[in-house]
Amino acid sequence: MSYRKIDIDAYDEDVLQESELCEPDPRDPAQVLSDAKQKQAAVRSSLAKGDIPGALDIALDSAPYGPNVEDAKNLTLQTVVSILNSTKSSEISNVVKALSQDTQDTLMKYLYKGMGMPGWGDVSGSVLLGWHEKLTEVGGTGCIVRVMTDRRTV
Amino acid sequence: MILLEPHNVIIQTTLVDKVAKPSSLDIQFVDFDGVRFHLSTPERKTLVQLSMNIRCWDELVKYGAMEVLQREYGSLIKSQAEAEYNVSLDIDLEQIPADEEARDNFIKSMSMFKRNALAAPFERAFRQQKELESSGQAQGELMQVHYRDEEAIYIQASPDRVTVIFSTVFREETDRIFGKVFLQEFVDARRQPSIQNAPQVLYTNRDPPLEIRDVPGLRHTEDIGYVTFVLFPRHFANAVISSSTISHIQLFRDYLHYHIKCSKAYMHSRMRHRVAEFQKVLNRAKTEVATTERKTVTGRTMATR
Amino acid sequence: MSNSLRPYLAVVRSTLTTALTLENFSSQVVERHNKPEVEARGSKEVLLNPLTISRNENERVLIESSVNSIRMSIKIKQADEIERILCHKLTRFLMQRAESFIVLRRKPVPGYDISFLITNVHAETMLKHKVVDFIIQFMEEVDREISEMKLSLNARARTVAESYLSAFTS
Repeated sequence: MSYRKIDIDAYDEDVLQESELCEPDPRDPAQVLSDAKQKQAAVRSSLAKGDIPGALDIALDSAPYGPNVEDAKNLTLQTVVSILNSTKSSEISNVVKALSQDTQDTLMKYLYKGMGMPGWGDVSGSVLLGWHEKLTEVGGTGCIVRVMTDRRTV
Repeated sequence: MILLEPHNVIIQTTLVDKVAKPSSLDIQFVDFDGVRFHLSTPERKTLVQLSMNIRCWDELVKYGAMEVLQREYGSLIKSQAEAEYNVSLDIDLEQIPADEEARDNFIKSMSMFKRNALAAPFERAFRQQKELESSGQAQGELMQVHYRDEEAIYIQASPDRVTVIFSTVFREETDRIFGKVFLQEFVDARRQPSIQNAPQVLYTNRDPPLEIRDVPGLRHTEDIGYVTFVLFPRHFANAVISSSTISHIQLFRDYLHYHIKCSKAYMHSRMRHRVAEFQKVLNRAKTEVATTERKTVTGRTMATR
Repeated sequence: MSNSLRPYLAVVRSTLTTALTLENFSSQVVERHNKPEVEARGSKEVLLNPLTISRNENERVLIESSVNSIRMSIKIKQADEIERILCHKLTRFLMQRAESFIVLRRKPVPGYDISFLITNVHAETMLKHKVVDFIIQFMEEVDREISEMKLSLNARARTVAESYLSAFTS
């Protein structure tokens, strides 16, 4: 290997590691996964009652983030998408208004995550776009900024 | 100008000029498919020599080109063709018919030199078809005319029809895709009631059609296309119809590529226009830079050098 | 504008507006250098999460942002071979003129058809909302342009075929 191609900055003592950018999720991956499964069940029962804001609150509360929890992340995305898909487009505004700011931010993260993987599961572009538009109306662009800057990616 | 003309405009206009005012002359020019012409006056001003070079001359002679030219031009054909050319005509400007209509026809027939040479295999196929029809034999010989480096015309007579196959190469990806669109339209256009009587057109990409599958040396690549025209006896029922059919079908390949190039040029001008529009939109975004004249205390303007 | 296009563009517009919050930022790796961090990728802490906005599998936008520059890549709808070649020609035509388009990148990001690179300098010399307008209008018109070109090609092919074949019957 040519010495010119070695990235010497990587050997610097002060070099910034990926892990230093954000605190890892303190929970154990297995526990996160079981939490996600429990939440999915809870969301189903909320949905059956027609309580969409409640369902979103449950699904988005302490969402899994950081490395090593891919399964839990995907499961949560699936749960969130199922809620989004079962909401009437006329109700979206009211549902979004009922959410707290933190929940709105987490919802926005999931919207972008869903759009990043089109055709995955039952992710539908137009539903996510509709939600995004309404959420931006309510939460403003700050909501998007927080998704861009938050290192705790879902 | 949607259709191409079978005659050569340069021969026509030059001869018309020279008939009116003979002068010495020496021009070389080319026609479609790399056919070269040479118009010159080697002996005297009133004797114009027209020479032609065709890539597939040997094949054409085999299929009776000499007889066709003999019929069309008779004693005008020189026994010894000019060097580097395949065939030469001597046109004596003093012996051109004086009558205006007859003169135009004469000049026109001169300008159809290439068309007449290429017509030989077609005429032969039309005759063969008549013979096969009466004798009930299966199929005539497959005539091959390699009129371009990588492209050829294949002509075969059958008891009830004459099949003409063009092989054509699309050098560029864009040409290939555009060509596909055009050829698809050729296949579909026959559904129109007004042109039901036109020859049937078939198109295959890469794989040669059944008739020429056994011909050696065919390429099997993505950029080659085969277009088959099926001519029925009604397309060469009498001399007038058959001669117009021949003039027309000869130029198919040139016609197709000409229009592909035209489409590309159109797309290009369209994109140019669109890009200019985008540019205008972006320019609106630029903030105005203040361009006030700056002056020194003494009143002189600051000039940028 | 078709119904499903409108929310798509609305989302792109809001995300792009948000992302276009840029400031001057000198390189932390090389002294006296100032380069778009989104391209240089020199320091991790100034790169933000890339966001994807998709209408469907074939149409999506990727917005990668950093402290002093954003890179936006568009994947244009290409339903068949003809649209693919037309799209390729059009984007290539544009990118060859990247010099005059200032914010256009000369090469698209892999997986996309055309990319824009907007730096803090552009954000300072141009009006932000008009730049966003430009990109939105570009996205709107590029689809329409491609389908119009395709239609005109088909129309020409039809006329050409018909006039050639009808000459046989006369």
